[in-house]
Amino acid sequence: MEKVIMGNHAVSYGVLLSRVQVIAAYPITPQTQVVEMLSEFCADGRMKASFIKVESEHSVMAATAGASIAGARAFTATSSHGLALMHEVLHWAAGGRLPIVMANINRTLGPGWNIWTEQTDSLAQRDTGWLQFYCESNQEVLDMVIQAYRIAETVLLPVMLVLDAFFLSHTEEPVDIPDQSLVDSFLPPYEPRYKLQPGDPHSFYGLVAPEHFMELRYKMQRDMERAVQVARQVGADFGSTFGRAYDVVEKYRMEGADLVLVTSGSIAGTTRVVVDELRTAGQRVGMLKVRMFRPFPFAALRESLADAQKVAVIDRNISYGHGGIFASEAKAALYGAAHQPLIYSFIIGLGGRDVTPQSIRSIVSYVQEHEGPAEQIIWMEVKK
Amino acid sequence: MSGQVLDEVQIKVPDEEWMTSGHVACPGCGAPMAVRYALKALGDNTVLIVVASCWSIIAGPFPYTAVNVPLLHTLFATGGSVASGVKAGLEARGLKDTTVLTLAGDGGTFDIGIQALSAAVERNEDFIYMCYDNEAYMNTGIQRSSATPWGAWTTTTPVKHPKDQPKKDMVAIMAAHRIPYTATATVAYPEDLMRKVRKAKGIRGSKFIHVLAPCPSGWKSEPAQSVLLSRLAVQTRAFPLYEIEHGDKYTINVWPTRELAVHEYLKLQGRFAHLTPEAVQQIQETVDFEWKRLVNRARASGQEVPSDQLCPG
Amino acid sequence: MTQSYIVVFKSEADMPGTTMSLGSTLYNKTGSWRYMRPIYRNRTSPCNHACPAGEDIVDYLQMVVQGDLEGAQQRILAENPLIGVCGRVCPHPCESDCNRAHLGGAIAIHCLERFLASLPGERKLPQTDHTAPPGAQVAVVGSGPAGLSCAYQLARRGYKVTVFEALPVAGGMLRVGIPAYRLPRDVLDAEIGAIEALGVEIRTNTRLGHNLALDDLQDYHALFLAVGQHRSRRLGIPGEDAQGVIPGLDFLRRVNLGERVQIGPRVAVIGGGNTAMDAARCALRLGARQVTILYRRSRHEMPAIDEEIEETEQEGVKIEYLTAPVEVLTTIGKVTALKCVRMRLSDPDESGRRRPEPVRGSEYTLPIDMVVPALGQEADLSFLDSAIHSAGGLILINNAAVTSSPCTFAGGDAATGAGTVAYAIGSGKRAALAIDRRLRGETLDGFPPLAEHVRVAARDVDPTVVQFEGINLAYFQEEARTPQQRRPAADRVRDFREVNLPFSEEDALREAKRCFSCGTCNYCGTCWLYCPDICIRRHPKEEQPSGPSRSAYEFDYDYCKGCGVCAEECPRQAIVMEEELKWKK
Repeated sequence: MEKVIMGNHAVSYGVLLSRVQVIAAYPITPQTQVVEMLSEFCADGRMKASFIKVESEHSVMAATAGASIAGARAFTATSSHGLALMHEVLHWAAGGRLPIVMANINRTLGPGWNIWTEQTDSLAQRDTGWLQFYCESNQEVLDMVIQAYRIAETVLLPVMLVLDAFFLSHTEEPVDIPDQSLVDSFLPPYEPRYKLQPGDPHSFYGLVAPEHFMELRYKMQRDMERAVQVARQVGADFGSTFGRAYDVVEKYRMEGADLVLVTSGSIAGTTRVVVDELRTAGQRVGMLKVRMFRPFPFAALRESLADAQKVAVIDRNISYGHGGIFASEAKAALYGAAHQPLIYSFIIGLGGRDVTPQSIRSIVSYVQEHEGPAEQIIWMEVKK
Repeated sequence: MSGQVLDEVQIKVPDEEWMTSGHVACPGCGAPMAVRYALKALGDNTVLIVVASCWSIIAGPFPYTAVNVPLLHTLFATGGSVASGVKAGLEARGLKDTTVLTLAGDGGTFDIGIQALSAAVERNEDFIYMCYDNEAYMNTGIQRSSATPWGAWTTTTPVKHPKDQPKKDMVAIMAAHRIPYTATATVAYPEDLMRKVRKAKGIRGSKFIHVLAPCPSGWKSEPAQSVLLSRLAVQTRAFPLYEIEHGDKYTINVWPTRELAVHEYLKLQGRFAHLTPEAVQQIQETVDFEWKRLVNRARASGQEVPSDQLCPG
Repeated sequence: MTQSYIVVFKSEADMPGTTMSLGSTLYNKTGSWRYMRPIYRNRTSPCNHACPAGEDIVDYLQMVVQGDLEGAQQRILAENPLIGVCGRVCPHPCESDCNRAHLGGAIAIHCLERFLASLPGERKLPQTDHTAPPGAQVAVVGSGPAGLSCAYQLARRGYKVTVFEALPVAGGMLRVGIPAYRLPRDVLDAEIGAIEALGVEIRTNTRLGHNLALDDLQDYHALFLAVGQHRSRRLGIPGEDAQGVIPGLDFLRRVNLGERVQIGPRVAVIGGGNTAMDAARCALRLGARQVTILYRRSRHEMPAIDEEIEETEQEGVKIEYLTAPVEVLTTIGKVTALKCVRMRLSDPDESGRRRPEPVRGSEYTLPIDMVVPALGQEADLSFLDSAIHSAGGLILINNAAVTSSPCTFAGGDAATGAGTVAYAIGSGKRAALAIDRRLRGETLDGFPPLAEHVRVAARDVDPTVVQFEGINLAYFQEEARTPQQRRPAADRVRDFREVNLPFSEEDALREAKRCFSCGTCNYCGTCWLYCPDICIRRHPKEEQPSGPSRSAYEFDYDYCKGCGVCAEECPRQAIVMEEELKWKK
């Protein structure tokens, strides 16, 4: 069934179709519509789930983790400060190997108060052990919720799907909402490996001495690495079932491209339009959309950029004292590769400032006019 | 408790153990005693959630456990929130009768955990929250919490500047949420503690049990005297045993039979050794005042007050 | 049952994906932490310490609590065959020392003993191993409590025992010194009968030094002299041989043997002991119009049992304190009055009691028809030969009850002068055990001093006696002692039927339950209940041994951290903490 819905509601439908059993939520702009719709689904019986209305995001993730280790499929959504507040619990959920799915609406971290989109909030959590997927459209959002549960429950690590505040969360787009039976055929019920089971007592998450700890971390990293292949497989299966396939990166018009724009989220949608324009004008420009940020798709990146001469990474985020985060990860991916393109790191759109087709064109111009970046960080559209 | 023979003890306190030896509590610690009795009262259809506290360590390191029920270790501030999630998760799986018991220390209840606890009980989540109160952050080395009694030494309230604030009345805070059941208990009265835990198990909604658990290491008392101290706390009225139903019906469970000065309780603890007679007197006056207030509440709730209990001192 | 094992991971592949436990903390033997360890060590209860007959009172009281009345009875009988007697006439030093006195009243042990003596069915004395060499025979002189106790302990070990009794009936002081209203004749007969049923022969009317000589007893392998003290001490005042002055012991003997005794309407009994009380009460029952007891010290110093004094006064006997006779006044050789002088107490004498001194000028005269001096007993040792030494009117014995003659033993009042039935019973038992050893050729070393009692079936206990301070009062409520009922005074002076009424089973159980069980583990389970390390193992009820070999719970020393909560909480001081270093090899 096709409906014109906002990104937040796409999340809600994804959760409904995934037959989530426990939801814990706390309101924060711009996430509120996700949970409001879920609240209605639970109230009118369309969803058979408990909805725990906790009192803070720290409690949100704690309750979600509790439900997950108790063996239920659990979900939550948050943004910005809420995500930051639950930071310690994110580590707990990942180390706890809990297949939780969370939608994070990318929103700027204050001060000052800012409700518009920026990727720094989710990226600041990149070390927690959560998988991260960045969505370009509301369709991708809905599809990602369903895929996220399959991936999470396979590798036993939590998955964060990320969408831009307002550009996706509050913008209505046509979305195909699949049939429940189709989703059921793709996503079986959750069979927890580690769970609280009366009659089979174990204790979870107790003290671990150094003599055992590294092995547990090793296992976690290994499963993270495995997740790349799992995500690709799930994305391919999704294509077979629903007609829309996904990969960990998307190569858009990159055949023979000398200049590749590397980007993510809703900016990818804008970039797509400019790439089309430039190709029509005869320029060999392509886009590499990074969908999966954690685990970082090293191999896919290297393979995709093997022929590019110039790579412009567009970050709507910043790690102070370093630079754009996708840029630094991309540079790390290319370190030691046989072919080393010139990498330009652009920072744009912080605090929700609009990224327009003109912005992308300016980026392309800069790259074409400079043989190599003149600065470590190329700040776009800042009044200097 | 009169001198009993084996049969009586067996009937009141079941033989079966849900805890093993080999746990690493300090000798004479009240915390393992509290959990042992609680688990005897609940049996194996129980999930125990242990909030960061001494019990996180007492339970034993990976890959071992000291209890024969599923145990979930959790973060410091999450006693109320994790329990809500666990309960929802268990019910989603059809395990509707499994008791969720959150075990937290005074720090995780009175301080860092109070927000999540308040929220959980405001929602009347169906779980038992048992706070074992050793009156300071003992696991991290005896720092003061809001549960530390007035005048006590801790490493952050040294002798030259002991704790200057009264102990937070957590039971009153819980009762103010109008939850179905709130109670105090302590390890010297195991049958009373077990009765309360069992009663809590039979009630749907939030149940809060505040257990005084002596800590020889932090109280600077003799390990052998932990049960004695726990008993003296009750007998001197420093820690009365009572229940509150729905936030307003008070029932006192133990009426101390003698006029025992609180000094009898304090003098066995090194953490009070520096107190002047005036300070002890002040503590006595506070104990008397609060006891009188409690008795009046019990009387107003319809409990018959024994005639020798009308006014202490 | 949770297993104890150590989990080993050879590689990360063996490990679960997250921190999930696989084993229990039982692998961790926290016993290595301790520097003090708890030991179950039963201590001595004050009642056991005090009982001269060597009964294990706390043990049998706990058997009553457990409902094993037969077992409790047999437990006492192993030490003392005359429990019906002791349950009535013993001055119960056990009760005087009982710690429960401080919380509602001492346990009424003697009433419990009497109750157990009165269980329905024929008395069966407990058996023991036969140790007697073939054909061994022993002569016992005197069928009082010492002689009977010795005969019993020997007969049950297979010895052929012959008891020679001077009087026409057996029982010694039990028969002739204690009236029937305190010790019914049928009770005494039954208890003696049970001993005779073991094969003991009692030959009455046979007095050593008269129709029996020491030489006649040569064929016996051992001899036990238990002739008692049946002679009354003299007053030492003028007129004491007048008609109407009857020494207390003689008076009682004649009454108890059923002889007719002339009772003056006004009787004065001199003395403060049980004999004086009994003489007064018998006089009343036999028709005296007025009976007065004159005692030279105050009430506080009176040696008679308190309950006896109470009963005597209830029956209308007047007791005058701080007065002593100085002359018996007669008319035509018959007693008509007693000249007395008031006394005053000054410093203590060799008995520890304050010495009475006459108050000059305070003489007065009491019109009296009959005087019964009851000032104490002496033994008639005229039958002794030079081989058997005596001093101060008592046959000399050592800890093994041996006299100066190697195969002659002695005991009871004739050797100790102790004057109580329980002591005599203990004394006779000591002699029996010594005789048994001597006749088997074993050493007589190792007997406890005469001031201490001897036990046949001793439990392994620490000699420290538990004081009241050692009892943990948190576990006990104040409960009043069950009083022993008596027949009304006006009713009972009319005859010689028993004055004191028995306990019901309910009374007995209630009273036994009040017992603190000082120093003796009674499985209350308090230690098990409070152990923070759950390392006390309880046996199921069916497996608990009872009796002298009963042991307490077990500590699992693999885990015990030595916190000491068990020792502190034990209601009855049956756990001791000892330094761990003592136990390390």
